[in-house]
Amino acid sequence: MGSDDRPKKIDRRDVLKGLSTLPALGLFGYAWQKQRAYQQTKVEEAAAAAQAPADLQVINIALLGAGAQGQVLTDSMLRIPGLRFRAVCDIWTEYNQKRVVNSLKRFKHEPNAYEDYREMLDKEKELDAVIVATPDFWHERHAVDCLKAGKHVYCEKEMSNTLEGARRMVAAQRQTGKLLQIGHQRRSNPRYLHCYNKLLKEAQLLGRIITVYGQWNRGVTPDLGAPDRYAIPQARLTQYGFKDMHQFRNWRWYRGKGGGPIVDLGSHQIDVYSWFLGANPSQVMASGGNLYYDPKTHEWYDTVMAVYDYDTPLGPAKASYSTQTTNGSQGYFENFMGDQGTLLISESEVNYAGQLYRDPNAPAWDEWVQKGYVTAPKEQATKATSDSGAVADVRESVAPDQHTVPVTLRDPYHQPHLQNFFDAVRGTATLNCPADEAYRTAVAVLRVNDAIESRAPLAFTPADFEV
Amino acid sequence: MEDMKLSRSAMIAITVLRVVVGWHFLYEGIAKLTSASWSAAGYMKASRGPFATFFHWIASQPHLLDQANLITMYGLTIVGVLLILGLFTRVAALGGLGLVMLFYLCNPPLVGYFYSIPSEGSYLIVNKNLVEVCALAVILLTRSGLFAGLDRIVRVLVFQRAQPARTAAA
Amino acid sequence: MSGGGAEGVYVEQPGDLRDVRRFAHEAMATVYEVYAVHADRRYAAQAAHACFDLVDRLERELSRFLPNSDVARINDLAAGDSTRVAPSTLECLVIARHIFELTGGAFDVSIGTGMPSLEFDTEESVVRATAEGVRIDLGGIGKGYAVDLMAELLEDWGLTAALVHGGFSSVLALDPPGTAEGWPLTLSDPREPSTVLERLSVRQTALGASGVRKRDHIVDPHTGTPVCGRRAAWVTVPRPRATAAQAERQYRAAAAAVTDALTTACMLLGRNEIDALCRNSPGVEAWILEDTELLHFGGAASELSERASGAERAGEAASEPRCRGVRGAKPLG
Repeated sequence: MGSDDRPKKIDRRDVLKGLSTLPALGLFGYAWQKQRAYQQTKVEEAAAAAQAPADLQVINIALLGAGAQGQVLTDSMLRIPGLRFRAVCDIWTEYNQKRVVNSLKRFKHEPNAYEDYREMLDKEKELDAVIVATPDFWHERHAVDCLKAGKHVYCEKEMSNTLEGARRMVAAQRQTGKLLQIGHQRRSNPRYLHCYNKLLKEAQLLGRIITVYGQWNRGVTPDLGAPDRYAIPQARLTQYGFKDMHQFRNWRWYRGKGGGPIVDLGSHQIDVYSWFLGANPSQVMASGGNLYYDPKTHEWYDTVMAVYDYDTPLGPAKASYSTQTTNGSQGYFENFMGDQGTLLISESEVNYAGQLYRDPNAPAWDEWVQKGYVTAPKEQATKATSDSGAVADVRESVAPDQHTVPVTLRDPYHQPHLQNFFDAVRGTATLNCPADEAYRTAVAVLRVNDAIESRAPLAFTPADFEV
Repeated sequence: MEDMKLSRSAMIAITVLRVVVGWHFLYEGIAKLTSASWSAAGYMKASRGPFATFFHWIASQPHLLDQANLITMYGLTIVGVLLILGLFTRVAALGGLGLVMLFYLCNPPLVGYFYSIPSEGSYLIVNKNLVEVCALAVILLTRSGLFAGLDRIVRVLVFQRAQPARTAAA
Repeated sequence: MSGGGAEGVYVEQPGDLRDVRRFAHEAMATVYEVYAVHADRRYAAQAAHACFDLVDRLERELSRFLPNSDVARINDLAAGDSTRVAPSTLECLVIARHIFELTGGAFDVSIGTGMPSLEFDTEESVVRATAEGVRIDLGGIGKGYAVDLMAELLEDWGLTAALVHGGFSSVLALDPPGTAEGWPLTLSDPREPSTVLERLSVRQTALGASGVRKRDHIVDPHTGTPVCGRRAAWVTVPRPRATAAQAERQYRAAAAAVTDALTTACMLLGRNEIDALCRNSPGVEAWILEDTELLHFGGAASELSERASGAERAGEAASEPRCRGVRGAKPLG
């Protein structure tokens, strides 16, 4: 046989060597258990986070105005934890009101439906806040009455279709001490906040902003209509200030109801002008006209071009704004142009989401790139160096480096601003667009229509912007 | 059979190799066993090698597919445990080698075939599966379990029991 | 002939009916159109405009190219994370999952990155990811879903004789115009649009079309490579009548969305699988264009058995799940 004929007993060496790899199994078991536990806690954490945390104070809210904008706000609010819809109020009971109530019921909210907002304020005992998304000419009544009934109010922009109305809203807010946030949602947009706080205030990347250009261009659209079968009876339309169904659906174009595109579209961006420039305008001149649509159904200007003068802390500046509803070329954006750089930004996450250009003569932005305030430039300008160390090749003009804003909004556009409002209701934040701040924008915007009429520059005094 | 005459450090290295490969098998097996809905169907349906028809066919027969899934899940797990412990190493190594060979043949990175099960790395004929096949071959041929593994104990016990019969016969 | 279609679907201009209004709108990288019958063109235009607003809203929720859309957020979820999405998004996902299971994974909005690892909470409208790396693309099914919602909206406005489509790959015919039996559609080879392969007259039916154009665009989720050989697929699904449950918005008929998904799947499924699918779903019909052969599944039973035996005679393998490149065939793309 072989050399292993001798009977062999197990000795300690054998046992030791034999079991030497057993601990590996033990280690495996331990590692595996840890991983399972980790996965389990992640799943549990996610499940727990999905429900509103127990200590998050639930805010009872009512939606006043269930039209297009009200629905957009509701979509956002359904994603914010800790809210309970108690009521939906809209005069179009046959259509919009019913649709929104049904969509809320899907999410276990049990809102009561109202046509008359006063009845809602009377009957709803557990209401903390009201979201107002009714036509501009109703904003004052709705907001003031809700504030006086002890509710916090989030009111869509424009504050009102008249400055007197807007002033009364500010007064009511001061008198009642409740919160009144106006819906200029860019004030809470993380990209805009980043640009304002980090790029303009802290880094002063653009140097001194001297000119601003902004626009909102939109193509031709037919008037809004309504399904025949859901038409509102004329009596009800009259009761709430509408001449007919067409005016009910297209109130924005009518005098006394809305302010036309300069207010619908422009007010957001002109608000950003004042915000970023850190000043109110000293003058506005504007030209506008009803160039295209039927003046019988479009009483306001479908095309407006306005130029503002500002005395900013860093020096004078001019800002032009243009809006048209006959062609959508290049959509909407704001372009801030300073002596050291340019900021091109819009609310859209896709178009003009935030591009910055450094003027070639400006100091390098390396420090800010490293801090993460702006991304590294897309194309490095080729720097030609000669042997003597001289810097630039003067024959070629150097293209400016393009940086982008490294902030993305992941949620629907109105969500951060609504979240800010509800945080303020809970006392954990301050409003980003309180009424007195929004009033200044209302002045700058509503007066454009006056400027168009008067065909002359309209001067502002600082007192104009204070209530 | 004689022990391979490899140096002690070589044998230690091969033992480590064996444990590591066993660990990999064990985790692969357990992960599939504990996941809610793992099936080899995806991998097999993605087959684009010379044996594609065969794997497609298996994947499309529910009965065969079930068996393939069971063999894979339990095979990986058992081979993994045995390799870590060094128990029945040759059988385990052979079984593991066969399994991984099947995986390799199902989706070999041969020139001219492209597929995209999301995978990392760049492979040309040789991929991780083939490397593991070779590692198992080394484990198999060096009988690593006998050096440092339960096989060592088993072999002694088996010999002890065999001995009385032989002396009696002799 | 009117209309166009890289997918090989055309709407024939119905006679001389002046009351058929056509409106178009670009969204989701395609052109949506509404054909509606109404004496008042302005009213029809307003209804169509309302439909296009709806499509724009859906695009904001479903497009994976918008960083703040529901789908973009889902694609960013880490294992264990969840996000609330719009109910319409969730409905699309539920339909996508259903067809995923129905077709054995041939229709996969996650293109192999892990559709089963998403969990849906329909009550809370929340999507939870149980694994990392899932990437979904609701482009295909989203078009059909938009078409479904547009059709419902048109009915709300009283425009019941209408046809809606998204790029002609998702078509939903409601009631036909005038006294016609149905909306006249033709199917033709995407590479030879002038040749009519089949004429259909449809009402209350959804039609999906998937085809190979200059570039292959259907990706087989199991291999990740583009499909070849099969050139076009069309599927029709009858549109269920509105039920009381739908009135409560608990459940919405989504014929076009389902059809969209099935059509994409039919570009990948084997003939027998398509046959089985049509047999198990009454009313569903499918047409497959392979090379020069047009196969028809569903519909009349006699036609079906003829096709099936024809396939056997052709010596096809018992289950040929994928279309593979023919040796020496033209390169992909």
